[in-house]
Formats: sequence, C-alpha cells, structure tokens
Amino acid sequence: MSFEIPIGPQHPIHVEPLMLRLSVEGELIVDVDVDVSYIHRGIEKALEVRPYIQGLYLVERICGICNAAHSLCYCLNVEQLLGKEAPPRAKYLRIVVEELSRIHSHLLWLGHYFHTLGFETLFMYFWRDRERVMDMLELITGNRVTTAYNTIGGVRRDLTPEVEQKLRRTLDYIEERMRYYEKVIDSEPTILARTQGVGILKPSDAVRLGVVGPHLRASGIKHDVRLDDPYSGHDEIPFNVITWDTCDCYARVKVRVKEVHECVNMIRYALDHMPSGDYRLKIPPFFKAPPGESLSRVEAPRGELVHYSISDGSDRPYRYRVRTPTLANLLSVVEMLKSRDGYEVYIADVPAILGGIDPCICCSARVVVADEARRRRTVMTLDDIIRISRDRGVERR
Amino acid sequence: MIEKILATIFFPGAVFLLAVSLFYEWVDRKLYARFQNRVGPHLAGPFGLLQPVADFIKLLSKEDIVPMAADRLLFTLTPILASALTLFACMFLPIAGPTGIISFEGDLIVVIALLSIYTITVYLAGEGSNNRFASIGAERAALQLIGYEIPLTLSLLSAAIAAGSLSVGGIVEAQAERGLWLIVGPQSIGFAIFVISSQAEMKRIPFDIPEAEQEIVAGWEVEYGGRRLALFRLSKDLELILLSGLGAAIFLGGPIGPVIPGLEPMLYTIYFILKSLIVLAIFTLVRALFARLRIDQMEFFSWKYLMPLAVILIILTEVIL
Repeated sequence: MSFEIPIGPQHPIHVEPLMLRLSVEGELIVDVDVDVSYIHRGIEKALEVRPYIQGLYLVERICGICNAAHSLCYCLNVEQLLGKEAPPRAKYLRIVVEELSRIHSHLLWLGHYFHTLGFETLFMYFWRDRERVMDMLELITGNRVTTAYNTIGGVRRDLTPEVEQKLRRTLDYIEERMRYYEKVIDSEPTILARTQGVGILKPSDAVRLGVVGPHLRASGIKHDVRLDDPYSGHDEIPFNVITWDTCDCYARVKVRVKEVHECVNMIRYALDHMPSGDYRLKIPPFFKAPPGESLSRVEAPRGELVHYSISDGSDRPYRYRVRTPTLANLLSVVEMLKSRDGYEVYIADVPAILGGIDPCICCSARVVVADEARRRRTVMTLDDIIRISRDRGVERR
Repeated sequence: MIEKILATIFFPGAVFLLAVSLFYEWVDRKLYARFQNRVGPHLAGPFGLLQPVADFIKLLSKEDIVPMAADRLLFTLTPILASALTLFACMFLPIAGPTGIISFEGDLIVVIALLSIYTITVYLAGEGSNNRFASIGAERAALQLIGYEIPLTLSLLSAAIAAGSLSVGGIVEAQAERGLWLIVGPQSIGFAIFVISSQAEMKRIPFDIPEAEQEIVAGWEVEYGGRRLALFRLSKDLELILLSGLGAAIFLGGPIGPVIPGLEPMLYTIYFILKSLIVLAIFTLVRALFARLRIDQMEFFSWKYLMPLAVILIILTEVIL
C-alpha cells in the first residue's frame, strides 16, 4: 500500500514554496508529483510596462542569489537590441562580480546542502566563509546581496586599487578554506554514505530532460555557456569546465567545490589583465530601442539562464521572457526521485536529491490550475488567462 | 524513611535533577555552538545560563492544542510518561554517594529497561498524534531501537561482568576497590560503543533519524506543542544527564575521587558532575562531527560493526577474568 507524504509547500528544507507529493511504500519512494505554482509574481508582465532602465532593477529581483547573472543577462540583451557593446574594462569587471557571486552562490549552496544532510557544523563553517565574499561584494558594488552593479552599457563603478588588494587577500583565504573543505568532504564517512550513489542521473537522461549548469556537468557532460558562447570576454580568460562522471549527489558537491577554485583563478586572471579605459558607455537613461528581437544567455551559478525580448521600437519591451535554470532542472528531480529496479530512493534522500539541483523556486513559478474534484491539473497559457479574466469581468458587470 | 523521601524530592532527587538537567542542556548547546564557531545562548542570565529555563517557561505558557485526529489518551499520557520515566531512571544514578537513591543488585537491568521503554513511549507518542510525518518518525524510532539497543546493553553488561556486579553502585565500588577506572583497559571499547549507541538512544546527530528536521519536519514530535513539548524536551534533558551520568558512573568511576576529610558528601556530587560533564562533552563533540545517516545505513552500521564488536568485548572480558 502506498502512502502519500507532502513535502511542501511549507517544509524546513525549503524557504520557498515547492510542493512534492511523494507516494511512499515504507521508506521507499515509488512516485512523485512536482508543483511549483505557489509563487507566481508576474515579473515578465511587469517588465513590459516599464522603461528599459527600470526593468534593470526589477530583473535583479527575480532571484536574490543569482542577481548578478540576471542583471548581466538583461544588460547584454538590451545592449544587443541597441547594437552596442560594453567597453573591455567593463567586461572584465562584470566577470569579476559574476564569478564572485558564483563563489557566494556555491558556498551558500554547499552550506545549505550539508544542512539538509544534517551536518550542521559544516553548514555554519561554509556560511561563515561566505560572509567574507559578501563583504567583498559590498566593497566592490556597494551592496551586499542585490548588487545592482551591471548597467546598460557597462558597470556602475570602477575597481579601486585598495579594494583590489582586499579582494586578492579574500581570494587567498577562500582558496585555502576550499582545500580544507575538499579534504573534509572526501574523508568524512557519513557524507560519503549520504551522497555516493544517491540521485543518479545518467548523462543520456540529463540531455533528454534538458538539464543545465553544474547539475549537467555533474552528469559528466561538458557544457558551459561561458565556453560555448563567450558573452563577456570569456574567450580571453582561460578556465576549465569542471565535470564529474559519477552522476550522483557526490558529483554535484565535487563539481561545485572545484568550480569555486576555477572562479578564484578567473578573478585573479581578470585582475591581472584588467584593461584600462572606460568602464561604461554613455547611454541616456531613457531611450527607445530599435524594433527587433534579441536573445542572451548567461551561465548563472545554477546553470544556463536565457533572456529573450521583443522590441517594437518603443521605450519598453513588447515581450520579455526569462527561462531560469531551476525550471530546466526540476524535471530531472522527478526522474531521480522514482525508485526503479535496482535503484532505491528513500525519504531521507529527498533533501539530498532536491537540494542537489540548487532549486530556486521563486524564479520558476508557472500558472497551474488544480481541479481537486476531478483530480486534474493543467498548465494555462497566457491567452487562457486573458480569456478567463475577461470572462470573469463580464460576469461581474 | 523521611530522609529517603526528602532525598527523592530535593537532593539528589527530582528538584536537583531538574535543575542540573537544564544546566546540562545549556552546556550541550553552548559547546555545540562553540564547535560550530557560533556564540550560542548568551542573552538570558549570565552566559545565557537561564536560556533552557526561559525556553521551558515559554513553552509552558503556550496554547495547548490537541489535533482532532490524534488519540487523546496517548497524546496526553506520553509526554508525562516520558519525563516521569527518565526522571525515575535518574534516581539510580550515584550522585550524592557511591549508590543512587534507589539501589539493589540488578538495578542496571532496570535502567536499561527504562531506556527501552522510553523509546517505546516515543513510538506511541508519534503514532498517537496521527500525522504522516509523526508516524514515519515513530516507525524510524522503533526501527532504530532494534539497531542500538543490543550494543548498548552489551556494552553496559561487559562492564558489569568486569566489575562483578549488576548494580550501578556495585560497579562504582568495584572501580574504587580496584583503584582504576573501568575505561582503562578493554572496557574502553565498551565506552566507545556506549557513546555511539547513547547518541542513537538520545536521537542526536548522526542518529537523529526519527526527528530529521529536513526530511520529516520534526518526526515523531511534530504535532506536540506547548506544555506537552516542554515535557518532551525536559525528558530529553533528563536523558542527557541519565546517559552521561551512567557513562561517568560505569566507565569513569562515578562519584569516587580523592577525598578531603569532612567534605565527602559534597565531593561526591562535584566529582559526579565533573565526570558526567566530560562524557557530555564527548556526546556533543560526536554530534558536531557527523552528517545524519539514513535509517538503513544506521541498521547496517550497528548490526555489522557495533554488534560484533560488543560480542567480542563480552568474550574478551570473560577471558581476562
């Protein structure tokens, strides 16, 4: 007999509302149903009614942790519409902040991941070290979390030599700490027991389900937007794309730990080879973009982030579309959570597997209509919603 | 007779035990926080010493809710039973003298039995609250009992064999006569097994499987709130003093130590508390060092490693004797 357990929409592993309906037999999971539609915020619509410069501040608030990636993606998108390109120094500064926020995101994830495995001590340690990165972000950009650093045509402020000195010291500290953590992760038997062989996602399944980012690289597939489509001078900076071929939760931890080392090296290279010159183009705050469409991709800490916009020649986008990495990765959770022949998933593995994709639900909500009486759920299109809202309006009148 | 009743109620009985158990919770929390590079409780009272008391009083003042689906009898009875059982088991600890308030030949068996009944109470508490998470937690608690109970019993029994007595007081006296703590020698393995299985008995990391916050919210205690939760927390604190005291009494020589004439009754208590604090520090260190295991891994570990080790220890103890 199977027994249904609701993980969410309120659950301690997640601060965000995500619903997983698990059907379990004893401790084994046999079926799972994912629902992310608790936190629809209408940001895409809100972007369509604002001038481009205001959209920049809105787009940063899609996700607090990958705010640098979102604003970078938005700026690239609008610059592409305008047919302009940021100066070389701005590109390097963007890389510095992007990689720094990747370090911050990965440290946050690592800490939270060990918290979900019940390893509170490592959680505290990771978050303590993350605080140093946050301080650096604050020194460089002026803000701790929502950095508001990228702007259309460049970045908002330059990097001073004093800040650069401090940044280098922080990088040394982070590198040393990460070496220690890597040793801990490789030698601690309870961590190995909880992660190795858990949540296996085969490379073929990963490609079929459209998985992106570190999650895909942990399945052994070399895919990184920074390498495939260098968007901000990434072709000038040498870096390795980290992959791991065990395809389990352990691989996800290893990939992120090793990526932090890569980020540190990239920032060092960018600081060493920083071009001189302007750090932003002079673009008036309110402008009209020529008609056309534009697509930009950025490797956010969680994976490939896609922004797409259509301009009709006015001062605001006609349509703006955001595809966040979590939405791409969520499907794989369902795949990983189902027990099959020779592959057993326990209730205790749910946090490990769900945490493994680094979920960020607030970026991913879609409208889903639940019909409890008929036990049916359907995803609605924009047209459907417009039609329903008009019909309702007619009824009320 | 009247002396005995006063001892049971005040010192070293209920009132003293309750005060010390809250102090032990503070020590546990503070040490755990320091191991994690945190500050820990520091607001209520000097060094946050009154934080557990404040938490307890706060919980007592909360609204008392019984879910409609819950079994009212079990829901009311189990918190009382849990705290009463652990308090009763603490009476066997030799705090104010070489023997506890209650002491007879074979009382070690009674303590072990009370520990098992405590886990059964937890099981009933989980199932009685009729919640999905709670019943999974309760089942995990019962499953875990199968894993750790036998190693725990065997580790205590091998100490009893080495001391030649089945009572806590007898083991303490045997150590005093021998002039050496039992932990010196082969019983150090027994102490290690005791520490690991106590961690499972108290449902602490790496064996906090029945109440794994990130998996099943709070497991068996998810529906409990207010004064019921306060009583459960109290029973956990009492369990902390019970198991660290038991470890101190059986492996570290209990309240026996160098004697200053005239101060003996006081010194007994001081030695007991110092030694049990050492055991508590070890418990806390273990809690800070590991991630949570999965229930099948826990069973695997205790039946594959802990059990054979405990049996070997028993044989070794017999051979040495």
